Amino acid sequence: MKNTVKVQRVILDLTQEELAEKIGVSRQTISSIEKGRYVPSTVLALKLSKLFNKPIHEFFSLEEED
Amino acid sequence: MGLKEIYQWDRRMAEKLRRFQLPQSYQTVGLAIAIIAFVGLIARKFMTTEPDWIRSLCLNLILVGLLTISLSKEKVEDEYIAMLRSRSYQFAFIMGVLYVLIQPYVTYAVEYLFNPEEAEVQMSYFQAIAFMLMVQLLFFKVFLKKCS
Repeated sequence: MKNTVKVQRVILDLTQEELAEKIGVSRQTISSIEKGRYVPSTVLALKLSKLFNKPIHEFFSLEEED
Repeated sequence: MGLKEIYQWDRRMAEKLRRFQLPQSYQTVGLAIAIIAFVGLIARKFMTTEPDWIRSLCLNLILVGLLTISLSKEKVEDEYIAMLRSRSYQFAFIMGVLYVLIQPYVTYAVEYLFNPEEAEVQMSYFQAIAFMLMVQLLFFKVFLKKCS
């Protein structure tokens, strides 16, 4: 799965720490999501969607091997 | 109490146990217990007389200290940290089993080189549990560091 969470974060002018604080997770979680190392749960994805004010499929997408 | 109620109670207890964690400050407490116990273990070498139970107590306190650190929360606990913790327990379990299987024979081989008559295959519970706890803590910290 690939994502553009980093792009959305930069659009909102937030650091990883600030984004993590806003949705109640650790900075390591945001870093891992942005690097594609971790696929977040539905709840976390929905929180990101609410913060970015965009539907989930606009910043998360499936890759071919998925 | 019917079977259904018993299953539900079991599930609730298992969930409570799975989620059990000590506050983050207990990491320091656990470290202090382990260090004090270790120092006590070293110090008894310099005592002329000491009861047998002191060694056993020090070893058990080291395990208590390591377990306390293992059960303590990180600064921020979330689903990803929980996944890393779970993965570190998996590694610790597998490596612990391998250690218990292999290490006695390695010790025997080394002891045999120096003293064939006294060499024997043995493994204490302290070695096994301490190894597993240390591997779990090490892997957890490495996983956390990798994503910083």
